[in-house]
Amino acid sequence: MNPRYPVAADLGVIACETCGLVLTAPHGAGRWRCPRCSHPLHARKPQSVQRTVAWLVAAVVLYLPANLLPVMATKSVLGRESHTIVGGIIELWVTGSRELALIVFIASIAVPLLKIAALTLLAITAQRRSSWRQRERAGLYRLVETVGHWSMLDVFVVVLLVGMVHFGVLASVEPESGLLAFGAVVVATMLASASFDPRLIWPHDPDKPVAHG
Amino acid sequence: MAEPDSSQTPPALPEPVLARQNRLHLSLVWIVPIVALVVGAVLVVRALLQAGPEITIEFRSGEGIEAGRTEVRFKEVVVGRVKSVTLGPNRDRVLVTATLERNVRSIAVNDTRFWVVRPRIGTAGVSGLGTLLSGAYIGVDAGASDESRTEFVGLDQAPLVLRGEPGRSFVLQADDIGSLDVGSPVYHRRVRVGRVLGYRLSADGRSLDIQVFIESPYENLVTLDTRFWHASGIDLSFGAGGLTLSTQSLASVIAGGIAFATPHDSAPGGPAVSGHRFRLHGEQRQAMAPDDGEPLRVRMVFKQSLRGLVDGAPIDLLGVEFGVVRSVALRPGASLQSLPVEVQADVYPRRLGAVHARFAAQDAAGADRQLLKQLVDNGLRAQVRTGSLLTGQLYIALEFVNKPGKVAFDADAPVPTLPSVPGAFADLQPQVADIVARLSRVRFDEIGDDLQQALKALNQATVSLQNTLASADTSIKQLTPDAQAALADMRQALTSANQTLNSAQATLRSAEANITDAQAPLQRNVAQTLAELQRAAQALRVLADYLQRHPETILRGKPDEPLPAGADKR
Repeated sequence: MNPRYPVAADLGVIACETCGLVLTAPHGAGRWRCPRCSHPLHARKPQSVQRTVAWLVAAVVLYLPANLLPVMATKSVLGRESHTIVGGIIELWVTGSRELALIVFIASIAVPLLKIAALTLLAITAQRRSSWRQRERAGLYRLVETVGHWSMLDVFVVVLLVGMVHFGVLASVEPESGLLAFGAVVVATMLASASFDPRLIWPHDPDKPVAHG
Repeated sequence: MAEPDSSQTPPALPEPVLARQNRLHLSLVWIVPIVALVVGAVLVVRALLQAGPEITIEFRSGEGIEAGRTEVRFKEVVVGRVKSVTLGPNRDRVLVTATLERNVRSIAVNDTRFWVVRPRIGTAGVSGLGTLLSGAYIGVDAGASDESRTEFVGLDQAPLVLRGEPGRSFVLQADDIGSLDVGSPVYHRRVRVGRVLGYRLSADGRSLDIQVFIESPYENLVTLDTRFWHASGIDLSFGAGGLTLSTQSLASVIAGGIAFATPHDSAPGGPAVSGHRFRLHGEQRQAMAPDDGEPLRVRMVFKQSLRGLVDGAPIDLLGVEFGVVRSVALRPGASLQSLPVEVQADVYPRRLGAVHARFAAQDAAGADRQLLKQLVDNGLRAQVRTGSLLTGQLYIALEFVNKPGKVAFDADAPVPTLPSVPGAFADLQPQVADIVARLSRVRFDEIGDDLQQALKALNQATVSLQNTLASADTSIKQLTPDAQAALADMRQALTSANQTLNSAQATLRSAEANITDAQAPLQRNVAQTLAELQRAAQALRVLADYLQRHPETILRGKPDEPLPAGADKR
């Protein structure tokens, strides 16, 4: 077994996540705070895996209505039509706007699903204190953090349409309940990735000898 | 946690402060997925509660039907939406799956009908115009059954009568469809009161059943004695009253239609029940005629050319159209020199009206034949006549002839034979031939020769007359001087005659004065004489009056008593 690099716990110190103040690690349970900035102190994010999993479950639950219910209704003299996300993508694809369909598909379907899958993987491996492909898992986490901001694309489009298309009886656009669910999915995945502590990718094993360099 | 190695720990590091302890091991964040689950469950439950039955409708074509967009409408209210459109297992039908709303789930029962509403422009009008913009939709006619059902076969066209539409439908038996079509109007007094629902050839192909629907409140106008006829087209007839043009509305002229009416003299029967069968006549006159009853087929044999007698020519009995000619054909005769012409015709003894009612035993099966036999025994004979000299159309007249020969009329034959006599036209032909023969005997050439000689003589006479006139002219010219002298003498004689007349005029004038002057003696004497005469006449009148009142005075003389005052005055 290869010796490992020392971590903060090995040295008996703890750093404040907000102001970077390095403190002696507190003894005993309790809610310790940073004396400089009053930020709660913890060696790892508390209940990180549990919270991540909870947000993921919420996201999965909300993902169903987000895709089954219509996100938008267009009203015109010809009648009222409701559109779901998948329906809109298919329509775009069939009518020839394949690039647009691809963009919407990636932003609205692929990214949320990828985020959910990636975070699930990360949460499970962290819970099992796995040391499998730690660098790749860290890269995956960075990707999730980076890409997450772009999944609100659909919400932005609908909000723009609702605000701009107001032609009285001729045409108007209304948001529908699916949009709310979709927004909730995106928020839940963002919170899930925020509550995951990437340091858990490298589980702390105090029994392992520390390499002294 | 491992004991910190004091050698590695920097000295004089600050101590962290202890915050209040949180004993909960389960994170509060689990509320989020629980709430999400609850919301999701509510949504699912609501969707389940709202979702009505899913039905499948078979259509021949999926034209205009789009999944997720096409609506299902009942009385123009949206009650569902098409979910998917697929081909049937044999690819010959289109299967449309639609989701109905929960509150109208009772609509999907056994006898519910579905059809696709598309814009339709026909002779009966324009329908479904709204679908031009909004696209086709599926129409529903809710059934009344209690058995619910999920698979239906859609109609190709909108049903013409929706369930619960007030009115009554009838069946018309017709010979042909004419220009009628589904949706053609039905008129009563030229008011549109119904429409044609459909038509069907009978199983043997001999007649046509047309189903019509009379809308409320007009359905009670159809009684058991109502007559229907084709109102299509134009009926142009030329009668004693002049040219008559009879049409229904202009639309029916183009699109066809059916009209009906009830004869004024019909028995007051109640309204006909739904599904009652009527006969559809070709025209109004025919329809409104009294019931003809069953036609009786008869044959007539003529020994003359019947050029101009066509199928459908009338058979006239003393002005009543008694029947109609059905066929004209040659029959083998005794030899090839005489080929009799056989005419087959349908006669309607019931058209004789009161005669038929009086003389034909109504209930006997062969009553019509017996009536015909009586008529023939009394001298009824068929005769071919010219209906129109212009066109040479013939018709057959049945008339009682003066001295009928005895003819055996076999009333029991399958097709009884009506005896015939040569027609007036047939009589005329030999007479004309006789006249022509006589004319041909006249020697027109000799007459021409004589005439020419006479003309020559006349010419000579004219020439001599001219000579005579010329010589007369010369002799007159020789006479002229003597005549002038004679004229001068004549003028003198006239002058003296004039003087004599003047003196005679003066004499007459003096005589006239004697007569007209009141003072002249002649005039005065005449006046006196007239006065005397007047008095004498007065006395005579008094005497006559008296004698009239007292005739006895002639014998006894005048009594002494004085006369009444009135008589005295006279």
